[in-house]
Amino acid sequence: MASGSFGSLNTALTALQYQRVQMDVASSNIANASTEGYARRKVDGLTLGAPAVPAMWSRYVGTGEGVLASDSQRMVDELLNGRSRLENSNLSYLDTRQAALERIEAGIAEPTDKGVAQALQDFRTAWQDLANNPAGDAQRSQVRARGENLAQAFATQARNLDVEASDNRYRVVVDVANINQLASDLAATNKAITAAAAVGTDHNVLLDQRDVLAQKLATLTGGVASVQSDGTFNFSVSGVALVSGGVAGQVQIAGGIDPVTGAGVVVPGDPLAVPPTYDADQAVTFQIDLGGSVTAIPTAPDGAGMPGGELGGLTELLNTTIPSYKADLNAIVAGIAADVNALHTSGFDADGNPGGAFFGFADPNNPASTLLVAVATNAGVAASQVAGALGNDIAVAIGSRLAAEDSYQRYVNTMGTDVASVKRLAYNQYALTTQVDNTREQLSGVNLDEEMNNLVVAQRSYEAAARVLSAVDEMLDTLINRTGLVGR
Amino acid sequence: MAVTRVTQRMMFEGSMHNLQQQLARLAKTQESLSSGRTMNRPSDDPTGVSSSLRIRSALSDQQQYARNADDGVGWMATIDTSLQSVLDQVRTARDRTLQGLNTGSVSQAGRDALAAEVEQIRTGLISMANAKYLERPVFGGLTGGGQAFDDNGVYVGVTGEVNRVVADGVTIAVNADGEAVFGGPAGSGQAQLFQDLEDLAIAIRANDETAMAAGMTALNARLDAITTVLSDVGTRYNRLNVATEMAKDSELSLSEGLANLENTDLARATVDLQMHEVAYQAALAATARVTQPSLMDFLR
Repeated sequence: MASGSFGSLNTALTALQYQRVQMDVASSNIANASTEGYARRKVDGLTLGAPAVPAMWSRYVGTGEGVLASDSQRMVDELLNGRSRLENSNLSYLDTRQAALERIEAGIAEPTDKGVAQALQDFRTAWQDLANNPAGDAQRSQVRARGENLAQAFATQARNLDVEASDNRYRVVVDVANINQLASDLAATNKAITAAAAVGTDHNVLLDQRDVLAQKLATLTGGVASVQSDGTFNFSVSGVALVSGGVAGQVQIAGGIDPVTGAGVVVPGDPLAVPPTYDADQAVTFQIDLGGSVTAIPTAPDGAGMPGGELGGLTELLNTTIPSYKADLNAIVAGIAADVNALHTSGFDADGNPGGAFFGFADPNNPASTLLVAVATNAGVAASQVAGALGNDIAVAIGSRLAAEDSYQRYVNTMGTDVASVKRLAYNQYALTTQVDNTREQLSGVNLDEEMNNLVVAQRSYEAAARVLSAVDEMLDTLINRTGLVGR
Repeated sequence: MAVTRVTQRMMFEGSMHNLQQQLARLAKTQESLSSGRTMNRPSDDPTGVSSSLRIRSALSDQQQYARNADDGVGWMATIDTSLQSVLDQVRTARDRTLQGLNTGSVSQAGRDALAAEVEQIRTGLISMANAKYLERPVFGGLTGGGQAFDDNGVYVGVTGEVNRVVADGVTIAVNADGEAVFGGPAGSGQAQLFQDLEDLAIAIRANDETAMAAGMTALNARLDAITTVLSDVGTRYNRLNVATEMAKDSELSLSEGLANLENTDLARATVDLQMHEVAYQAALAATARVTQPSLMDFLR
């Protein structure tokens, strides 16, 4: 063993430096304890000493050269992060559905005495009253008024569905703009990461930013991020690349919403200033333009392959859920009109003429929104099965339970079940997502107690190292100033 | 054993989530208490809402049935009263004929008076045959003309049943067929009863005993026919009353069912509210305790 005079001084210096780094990291962790996307850093000490591989012709005689601070590590698990992105995108998909379905559900106003069910009953009651007094002009006018009420009740529901659909189309346009912004940010971050890695600077902040962007993108699109060897993320939606290294693609709306007007919609501060134009019958589809090559996001007829996340939730609402409710409602309305008209045309009106159609549509392709009472005069209401007499069989038949009432109850029941089920799914997904996020937080989160502990340890070690310095100093003082004084 | 790292943020977020959930439960109970209803939207209880819609529809049907039956009772009451008067009048006509048959004791002037009375009875009966309920002749079938018989006693109604639906699939006719009561058209077109009375007046005036006897027989037969109609009316009257009762009974039980289904059980909801409130307060207190301490409090 051998020891140089100043060796311990240098060792103490490395200790001072290392403890300073430890305190820097602890304070940085504390400062960022609640910063979104911040993963706690950790610095490990490397003991400086004998080389790991013994040299052949020389030997190490020291006892250790102190300590060196390793690069600060981000405490993350890429697999957990990936899982978190997946679960958060599922949650966002279900949340989007839940919110929209709850709005639709609130719009149907059942069970109250203000919904379609009540309007249907009122309509039947009016016919029964007419059956009791087929000659009454008041009753005839009542029948027509209640028919109008029924038409309005249906039109209100149909309009709720239309408004929901058009709101969601706006949101798709806004979301797509958001996604494109995030994608270009991610590409820029990727570039910065490559550059920082090349010069070897600490790029943990960039990695934090990368993770935050990927998380947001996944929440919006349900896409998948894959880590590259240089630490950058490639991002793909439904298997189609959106971000590849430093190049960002653009999600474009391929159908269902006019992309030209749609793209111009997003005015900062007022995203809905110019409503996008759209064809309500056309399914919403997307494509991705990556560096000039355009790839459609593949969509099976059942919607499989569509993006997930919020965009997927909106797309499914627009392409499947809302149209199916609308179709159900249209079928119910068409059914009522057909049933009532069949009975009505088999009867005779107050003047003894054969009854005309009671209900009509302004647009036969859109019955729920455009149902109207086609009988123009009170006398035109046909209550009698006999021409020129006061029979009431027709009024009784229309006033009896209509088949459409059952289909409407089924409609309400289906919607209630849908909403209850999506609520349950969203709740369960929330629990799962929280669990995954907690697991991630366990690894990456900042524990203040722990940081305080580290801080105290570093402080004490710093003090001790300083003491080492002064001890060595004193020793040298003894050597230099107090020795060799014999005989002076 | 793996040591679980717990961070302050985890605890804060966990506490926030739990507090939110407690508060949501509290809000839900609050909603059901303040609205008085357990079902405020279809997803609260899809099956319950579907039953609720069915019960509401059935309830409105029963209310309508009760109204229909009430209306029918009005018709029946009018018919009953009219038929009783018709019976009285026909009996009087028969009495007058009997008097006319006592040829020995009645002079020609007396017979003229009797004949005039029979003619008046006939006119009275024609007006009774036009008895109306709410502007509709109860013996006129489906007619919209406002008259069952014209001034000459000719039936001008439209034969048919005026029906009232009084229960699911139960229809009761609430009119009486004018031709069943007053007889079908006789030779001159007027109803048999009026023809008989006209013939009787002539016979009494002419003191034609054979014709008077034939008239008596005809009147007796008519009395039987009217009594038959009357007993039929009575049966239907009872059925209508029973139907009204039944409709009102079902209305009551349906309303009760609807209330059980839709309305909040106040006692239970209040207890629930209390429970959720206690739980919420406990959660608040626990959160306050758990999130406060840190190592900082214990370091100099």
